[in-house]
Amino acid sequence: MEVLNRLIDVRSTDPEDARRRKLLNLLLMGVAGITLVALLVTTLAVVFMPGAMDDAEGVTLIYGGSLAMLLSLVVIYLINRSGMGAVASSVFLVALTVIFAFSDSASQVAEGRSLFLFTIPIIMASVLLQPFASFILATLCSAVISTISMTLLDAVPTIPAILGFYIVALVSWMSARSLERALSDLHVINRELDQRVIDRTHDLAEALSRVQTESNKNQAILESIADGVIVFDQSGKAIVANPSIAMLIDRTQDEITGCDIEALMGNEVSPENREMLSGVVRGKGMGDYGTKFEWGSKTFSLSFATVQGSASESIGTVVVFRDFTREAELDRMKDAFMSMASHELRTPLNAILGYSDMLKEGVYGAMSAEQSSTLDRIIANTRRMLNLVNNLLDQAQMQAGKLTMHMSSFSVGSLVDELQSIMFILAEQKGLQLDCSIAEDVPPQVVSDPQRLQQVLVNLMGNAIKFTDQGSVSLNIKCPDQEHWALEVVDTGPGISEDAQTYIFEPFRQVDDSQARRHGGSGLGLSIVKQIVSLLNGQISLSSRVGQGSRFLVTLPLTGTEES
Amino acid sequence: MNKQAMVIEDDYDASVIFAKALEVLGLEVQVSHDGAEALELLADVVPDVIVLDLHLPNVVGTQILQQIRDDERLMDTRVIVATADPRMADSIKPQADLVLLKPTTFSQVRDLASKLLSVPRSQSKRQEAFDR
Repeated sequence: MEVLNRLIDVRSTDPEDARRRKLLNLLLMGVAGITLVALLVTTLAVVFMPGAMDDAEGVTLIYGGSLAMLLSLVVIYLINRSGMGAVASSVFLVALTVIFAFSDSASQVAEGRSLFLFTIPIIMASVLLQPFASFILATLCSAVISTISMTLLDAVPTIPAILGFYIVALVSWMSARSLERALSDLHVINRELDQRVIDRTHDLAEALSRVQTESNKNQAILESIADGVIVFDQSGKAIVANPSIAMLIDRTQDEITGCDIEALMGNEVSPENREMLSGVVRGKGMGDYGTKFEWGSKTFSLSFATVQGSASESIGTVVVFRDFTREAELDRMKDAFMSMASHELRTPLNAILGYSDMLKEGVYGAMSAEQSSTLDRIIANTRRMLNLVNNLLDQAQMQAGKLTMHMSSFSVGSLVDELQSIMFILAEQKGLQLDCSIAEDVPPQVVSDPQRLQQVLVNLMGNAIKFTDQGSVSLNIKCPDQEHWALEVVDTGPGISEDAQTYIFEPFRQVDDSQARRHGGSGLGLSIVKQIVSLLNGQISLSSRVGQGSRFLVTLPLTGTEES
Repeated sequence: MNKQAMVIEDDYDASVIFAKALEVLGLEVQVSHDGAEALELLADVVPDVIVLDLHLPNVVGTQILQQIRDDERLMDTRVIVATADPRMADSIKPQADLVLLKPTTFSQVRDLASKLLSVPRSQSKRQEAFDR
C-alpha cells in the first residue's frame, strides 16, 4: 500500500497541479492493472484452454498490444513524474482516443455502440487538464469519427454524436469548473485557517512571555526586597517566602513554605505575640497588639494585607516583616542614655542645692550677710541650671513621645500654697506684689498631674515675675463652666506684641533677644508648658497688649480619671 | 536614749544631706549605701524613722520597704521614701508614711521629718502594715 501511495504521490507547490497529476497517476495505475489482468487472462486461457484460443495471430496481437500499452503507460508516468503533468495528460488522452478509435469496427466506432467510449477522454480531459480541455477533446473525438465516417464509410459524420460529445464536454466543463472553484475556496479557507492558527499561536506565545516577564519582574522585586515577606493561605500555611525572611529567621525558603504559622514561630515568639500573629495570618487583624514584636533575637515591625483573588474573595494574607532590631536597639540605647543623662545631670545639681541649703540653714554655723547673699546667688544659679536641664530633658522626652502624665487627685489649696512659697521669694526680691486667689466654686480636690501642673505654673509665674519690673503678678483659679477649671496668671509687665504672640509657644523662640540676654532662659519653657497642658487634655491661651501686661489662661477638664 | 534614724541611700551627697537634716532634729543616724547591708543593720536596731531611696544596689528599696512592713518589730518605724520617679511615688504611697519626690532640700526633709515624729504613728498606718 505504501509503495502504491509513493508511486501515486507527486511533489508540487501548486495544489491544483498536484491533484491533476495524482489523478493521472491513478488512472495510469488503473489502466496498467486492467492491462495486466487482460494479459493474465489471455495467458491462462492459452495454457489451460488450448481449444478456445487457437487464433495465434490474435493472441500475439493481445500480447504485443498489452506490452506496447504497458510501455507507453510507463513513459507517460515518467513524463508525469518529471513535472510535465499537462504533457503527460495530453499524451494519455490522445493515446486513449486513438486506442478507442481502433477498438471496434469502423462503423461501430463512427456510428454505433463504441461512440460512447469517446465520452471517457472528454470527461477525463476536464479533470486531468483545465476544465475547458473537455471541448478540445470533444473536437478531437468529433474529428476522429468524422474522418472515419468520411474516409472509411463514405458517409456523412454523425451529427447527433458530435453534438452529444459537445454536450458531454459542456457538462464536464461545468462540473470540473465548479469542482475547481470549490476546491480553490477550500484552499483559501484552509490558508486562512492556517494563518489564523499561526496568528493565534503567536499571540498566545506573546501573552505567555508577557505573563512570564511580569511574573519574573514580580519575583525579582520579591527577591530583592529587604523586608521579609511571607504569604499565608487561609489555613495559615506559608505558600510564598522571599529570601529576606529566610535570612531574618534563619531558615531556608523551602523550610518556610508549607509550614503553618505556629510551627514557624515555635518558641521564638512570646505566647501573646504568637496569638497575635496567628490572628493576623487568619484574617482576624491585629487586635490591640502593637506592630513591633520580638522573634528570637530580632525585633520585627509587622504589616499585613489580605490577598484577594479575582472574585475579590480572600485567598490568604501577605505579611511583611521589617527588621527593626537595630532601631529597637538604638531606641533602647537612647532611652538608657536619656535616663542616665537625666540622673547624672540632676544628681550633682541637687547635691549643690542640698549643701547650699544646709549652709543657709546654719547647720555649719551662722554666716555673714555677704556669705549669705553669695550663697543665694549660688542657689539661684543652680536652680536656673537645674531648670534648664529639666526643660531640655522634658523637650527630648516630648519629641520622643515619651512624656507621660501621672493623674491623681490632689488639693487645689495645697498646690497654691506650695506655689506661693516658691514664688514669694522671687516676687519679693523684685518688689512685686504676689496675689493668689481661689474662687468659691472651685472643688477642693481635682484630678490632674500635680507635679506637671506645678511645673506649668512655676514656668508661667516665673516668666511673669522675670519680665515684670513693677506692679503685681497674680494667680487666680476659677471655674469658667461646669466641666472646666481655669488657672489664670496675670502680670503688669511690658506685654507681648501681636507678632510675638504667634510664635511664643514654639520651641527655642523668645520674644526679644535683648530681653532674653538680660533675663536668661532657653526659650523652651512656654513650648513645654503648652505641650504639658495639651497632654493634660487642656488648653492655653494668651491675651496681651504691649504696655498693658499679659494674661495666660490654662483651662483644664474637671472630669479627669485617676490612675489606678 | 536618743531617737534612732537610718538613711538608706546610695548617693553619697544625698545621704549626707538626709543624715544632717535628721541629726539637727537630735536623732542618732546610721547611714547605709547598700540594700543588703541596710537589711543586716535593721536586724539589730529599731529606728524611729527611716529615709529610704528606692534605687539601691543589691536589694531594691521596694523590697526593703516590704520587709520592714512584714517585720512586727518595726511596726512603729516611720518610713520616708525619697524617689525621683513620680510613678513609683504613687504606687508606694500606701506602704510609706511619707513620699518625697526628689529633688528634696535639706530644710524640706528636716521640717517634714520633724512633723512626722511629733505625733505617734497613726493607728491606721499600723493596721495597714499589719494587714500586709
